[in-house]
Amino acid sequence: MDVNQYLGIFLDETKEHLESLNAQILNLEQSPEDSDTINEIFRAAHSLKGMAGTMGYKRMQTLTHDMENVFSEIRNGSMKVTSGLIDILFQCLDALEEYTNNIQESADEGTNDNKPLIDQLNAFLNSGKDEAKAQPESKPEEPAAPAASEARWKEVPLGEPEKHVFAAAKEQGKQVYGLDIRVQETCILKAARAFLVYKAVEEKAEIIVCSPSAQDIEDEKFELEFSLIVVSNNSLEQIIQAAQGVSEIESVTGGVLDVENIVTEKSSEEPAETKKEETKPAVSAEKAQGTPAKQNDKKAGKPVVNRTVRVDIEKLDVLMNLVSELIIAKNSLVSASNTEGVSGGSGFNEQIEYLESVTTNLHESVMKVRMVPIESVVSKFPRMIRELSKKLDKKMELYMSGEETELDRTVVDEIGDPLMHLLRNSADHGLESAEVRAQRGKPEVGSIFLDAYQDGNNVVIEVRDDGNGINVEAVKNTAIERGVITPEQAESMSEKDIINLLFHAGFSTAKKISDVSGRGVGLDVVKSKIESLSGEVEVKSKLGEGSTWIIRLPLTLAIIQALMVTVGGEKYAISLGSIQTIEDISPSEIKLVGNKEVINLRGNVIPIIRLSEELDIDSLKSSEDNMVVVIVKKGEKLAGLVVDELMGQQEIVIKSLGKYISKCKIISGATILGDGEVALILDANALI
Amino acid sequence: MDQLKLADLNEAGETAQYIVIKLGAEQYGIDIKYIDNIVRMQHITRVPKVAGYLKGVINLRGEVIPVMSIRLKMDLPEDEFTKATRIIILKLEQHGTIGVIVDEVKEVVTLMSSEIEKVSYDSQEGKANFIFGIGKHNDELISLLDLNVVAMEK
Repeated sequence: MDVNQYLGIFLDETKEHLESLNAQILNLEQSPEDSDTINEIFRAAHSLKGMAGTMGYKRMQTLTHDMENVFSEIRNGSMKVTSGLIDILFQCLDALEEYTNNIQESADEGTNDNKPLIDQLNAFLNSGKDEAKAQPESKPEEPAAPAASEARWKEVPLGEPEKHVFAAAKEQGKQVYGLDIRVQETCILKAARAFLVYKAVEEKAEIIVCSPSAQDIEDEKFELEFSLIVVSNNSLEQIIQAAQGVSEIESVTGGVLDVENIVTEKSSEEPAETKKEETKPAVSAEKAQGTPAKQNDKKAGKPVVNRTVRVDIEKLDVLMNLVSELIIAKNSLVSASNTEGVSGGSGFNEQIEYLESVTTNLHESVMKVRMVPIESVVSKFPRMIRELSKKLDKKMELYMSGEETELDRTVVDEIGDPLMHLLRNSADHGLESAEVRAQRGKPEVGSIFLDAYQDGNNVVIEVRDDGNGINVEAVKNTAIERGVITPEQAESMSEKDIINLLFHAGFSTAKKISDVSGRGVGLDVVKSKIESLSGEVEVKSKLGEGSTWIIRLPLTLAIIQALMVTVGGEKYAISLGSIQTIEDISPSEIKLVGNKEVINLRGNVIPIIRLSEELDIDSLKSSEDNMVVVIVKKGEKLAGLVVDELMGQQEIVIKSLGKYISKCKIISGATILGDGEVALILDANALI
Repeated sequence: MDQLKLADLNEAGETAQYIVIKLGAEQYGIDIKYIDNIVRMQHITRVPKVAGYLKGVINLRGEVIPVMSIRLKMDLPEDEFTKATRIIILKLEQHGTIGVIVDEVKEVVTLMSSEIEKVSYDSQEGKANFIFGIGKHNDELISLLDLNVVAMEK
């Protein structure tokens, strides 16, 4: 067996443990006395150490080992949690994350020993505990449950050759131990766990007998328990410790095998009788085991039952593509039945309707599979705010809601950086210093809110602060200074337009450039990133009261509902999400304002965009006819798109035009219609 | 004939297969290793606001593929679509999958490196840049297209 095949599991688990450590250490700072939190941290660190050790990542193991020592002292109550300590622990987590990233890229942990961190940890350790200079071995281990020592390993049938080995080992001064290993019931990959235990024990001892056989274990032909008989120079505790380092192992128990007895037994008694004697304790052993196991359960707190399977995202993409194909096929059936008036009557149509509902449901569930809560991204923010709070010397608190809001996996992976930018921005530019806050009668501690919620076909993420808000005048002046706009332009710009200048590349109003933000990159990057995800971002701000950044992201990226229209004989799709209403307008209603065509629609002045002009094609309608105007909105801006005809609503699969044709901004993609023809998708946002 | 050619091949060493196409009166060769597919002329959906030689996109078994006119790219008269017109789907490392419109697809030929004459670039004609060599085959001359130049954006 090769360790590499477990690399994936190792990485996944390490990340989970690191995430939980991050969260729990934050918790610990809030409530340093909470024993549940400490236990949770201790367990995660312990598992990490064991896993790293088994996989042969020594540096990672060393670092986690030292962290574990610290946690152990905290758990014993012989050390106090201080803010300095938390800082160092966070740095340790960063270092661990770096190791993990290295491993993910090259299967190697890298060469950074992180010596300074380890030294700092040890310094804390030494200053923290005066009374006991206890060596690491004596730290409270997870209960080794000596009570269960008369356990299954005694039942392991031993043959002649083994007994000879035992006798020989004894002569060399080695000890023979029996071990019982019990895997957690929730464990998914029992064989892998068992293998890791096997590996861990092998480092400390020579495994003589394995029951069930190693082959059976590899094939997962065992219940939750298996037994090992080993020969070693090391102490029993060391071996048990090594085995317990593997995560999802419920308990490891063991004892010294009385070699003398066995060896002599064999010479005097019949093997059959040996067996009899060995089966008897089995009953009591099981009883004895019942209780410690239960205790373990309690210790573990709430066992996280994960009824999930990890699936490669590429496989999901394949599935998604197949669903798309199916929808295209369904569309072509629908159009065939419409145009050809296929005989067979209602039965045929019924089947098509049935197919339609099946594909829609299938599409929905595949989309759901791809959805993940944004929690995995936002969970690192509280820590970031905490660090910013120290760095900037401002008091602030982050309040989050809606972490369970789900988004497409690809979007969630990309949304982290933009959100981080916005939060940093709020912390650095938004919130005022303590003195200013006091003057303004605001609470000393600044608040930053991160709210996520679903709104129709969109997911909205808001970053809000109760800080200074955006100083429109300052923005305007800077923009003029930097030559982004001319003073004349500035005159005619609305407050909103000026605020939007913040998203202009190379714009930063921070008077001081700090290493937190203010290098002029940021907001424009945020905007382009979000737009690349087909989303949009806007700002609302009130000077002195704070600002709100609103990010709007589409729930799905691949399949949308669209309105099909024709312009000059060509078919185009407009996403239904951006359409407000559809109007029938007579040419006389069009007015000219500033040489631009507008209409006055129920009190709203809406600019008119003639799609035929935008698309370089001649409209097939005469200019006297009433016009069909599709009113689209982008944020709060409206525009009317003049089309020739409406074809109807359709579910379309978005296909990329490829990088070869990427220059066309107003086209966001293409789709394949039921008749096999390609129709282009108009990007209403780019048109406005 | 074919048998003979194969025997020749083994001795001459480096050989490559080319698909011979016609653009107007001239014959061109396209290295077969870049060719994914050859399809009949079909409806091309125009994409607005792109370079003129990009005719639009087609649906190739559920994939949307851009199609360009080699004629327009090489400043030849515009394509006339006939029954013989084909779209050759190329798979290029740099540019991805792209279709090119040709007047006619004639045959596949095997050329040895000794049968290919490199073209010098001193020609005043812009067209010469699209060609990296001239192949001689049965007394006929085939201009071999440098596809990366053909596909390059102007």
